[in-house]
Amino acid sequence: MTILRSALLVLLATFAVACNRVDSAETKAAADTADTDRATNRSSPSPLPATTAAPDGQPVTPAILAFHKHLEAYMTVHKEADGKVPSLKRTDDPVEISTREKGLAEMIMTLRAGAQEGVVFAPDVQTHFRTIITEDFAKRSLADRRALVHELPKGAKVSVNVIYPTTIPLLTFPAALLQKLPDLPPELEYRIVGRHLLLRDVKANLIVDVLRDAIPTT
Amino acid sequence: MTKAPVRSFSILLVLLAMVVAVDALDLQRQPAAQVAAAPGVLPPVAKDSVKFLVIGDSGTGDRAQIETAQQMWRAHSVFPYEFAIMLGDNMYGSERPQDYARKFEVPFKPLLDAKIEFYASLGNHDDPNQMYYKPFGMGGKRFYTYQKNDVRFFALDSNYMDKDQQRWLEQELSQSKSKWKIAYFHHPIYSSGGRHGSELDLRSIVEPLFIKYALNVAIAGHEHFYERLKPQKGIHYFTAGGSAKLRSGDIIATGMTAKGFDTDQSFMMIEIDGDALHFQTISRRGRLIDSGTITRQASGGTS
Repeated sequence: MTILRSALLVLLATFAVACNRVDSAETKAAADTADTDRATNRSSPSPLPATTAAPDGQPVTPAILAFHKHLEAYMTVHKEADGKVPSLKRTDDPVEISTREKGLAEMIMTLRAGAQEGVVFAPDVQTHFRTIITEDFAKRSLADRRALVHELPKGAKVSVNVIYPTTIPLLTFPAALLQKLPDLPPELEYRIVGRHLLLRDVKANLIVDVLRDAIPTT
Repeated sequence: MTKAPVRSFSILLVLLAMVVAVDALDLQRQPAAQVAAAPGVLPPVAKDSVKFLVIGDSGTGDRAQIETAQQMWRAHSVFPYEFAIMLGDNMYGSERPQDYARKFEVPFKPLLDAKIEFYASLGNHDDPNQMYYKPFGMGGKRFYTYQKNDVRFFALDSNYMDKDQQRWLEQELSQSKSKWKIAYFHHPIYSSGGRHGSELDLRSIVEPLFIKYALNVAIAGHEHFYERLKPQKGIHYFTAGGSAKLRSGDIIATGMTAKGFDTDQSFMMIEIDGDALHFQTISRRGRLIDSGTITRQASGGTS
């Protein structure tokens, strides 16, 4: 196979050189003709965690308690949906993973039909989250902030109760910021897309809620 | 255009198509046992040592991944690694069932057929539900640990280092009595990459644990090149995220690099024998890029 490939490559190279000579001759002839034309015609023109406590050392504020209440409401729906479809389990078959993920997502979407932004990141907790994020970014160096913003998936349109776009990489969540945000149950995680903070259902790959423009621009 | 150039161009296209077809046939045949051993590969030094392959950022399904995977299999004939660790970005883009085939099962078929076990970690391009895919060896967990003879491996999820994972890591590290402790994860906490660089947030969380509990070696991906760093606070760091994607010329001068390679795809092979860790890095074309031996630190980091 290697000999055949090599022979073909030699043939290809030889032919290309020959063609180049012919093409050169023809190009020269064409140029000569053009020169002649110019001479003669100048006018051509891309389940809630075991502990839902506030981060270590932080007091449990009314906002945190409210957030946990909203989370519990979502988790009730998640558990109901999970009980109605085959659960994700270890398998050799990617089709099974894909089918069960999609099945859970569709069941949750159905049970939450009509869900609006701000159900979990409700108005009574939004200020709390925005303050934590703003303070975290303020403590970072300009180079660090720029690096984080540079990594953010851009141009993606996100909305509540839809599947997280599979073609967008999941931005590494800034570990230090994660320490300051309220804990989540293992079924949920925070993510950032553009300047928005998302709450994502891991098993269903579903966007649970969006807190828009929570990330500072620089 | 005259007829002669059109005819010449057509013949060139036909010849080119024939070369591509021969290449494709060659790739499909993948005569694992018949392929000549890669000339640059070094044989293991001991029979009963722990030998493993390191794959990083491999999930493209493109020609570069296939060729690098072929080289991995060729290397196996000289250096018979028993399992493979994956540093994340196991699948770029869509993760439909056919993508699992195109970006993992097909390129690594010879390894899978040879019953070489894979132990994957998650990258930023990976859907965490990959943890349910048995061939990735994650046991249904985003972060996990396992033992191979004297070596304890910690596969971390650097995308989402929450408090649960931190508690788990500290508990597992503190309880391990293994001679060697090796952690691997996607984002390098030390890197000379011009595009990404060191992941400082992650470093602030995990490095104190690595040091406190005497981690020996950390291996990461994310940067699409190979870099061996000078030991940082007594811990050895490698970045090996160029097993399919390549960010040519991305290594910048930081003073941290012991050896860098960013001009071709690559992978690593590691052997641990007693107190010695032997590493070698091979390019897509089979060239030995880097090699050496690390002697186990008396007490891990900071020593």
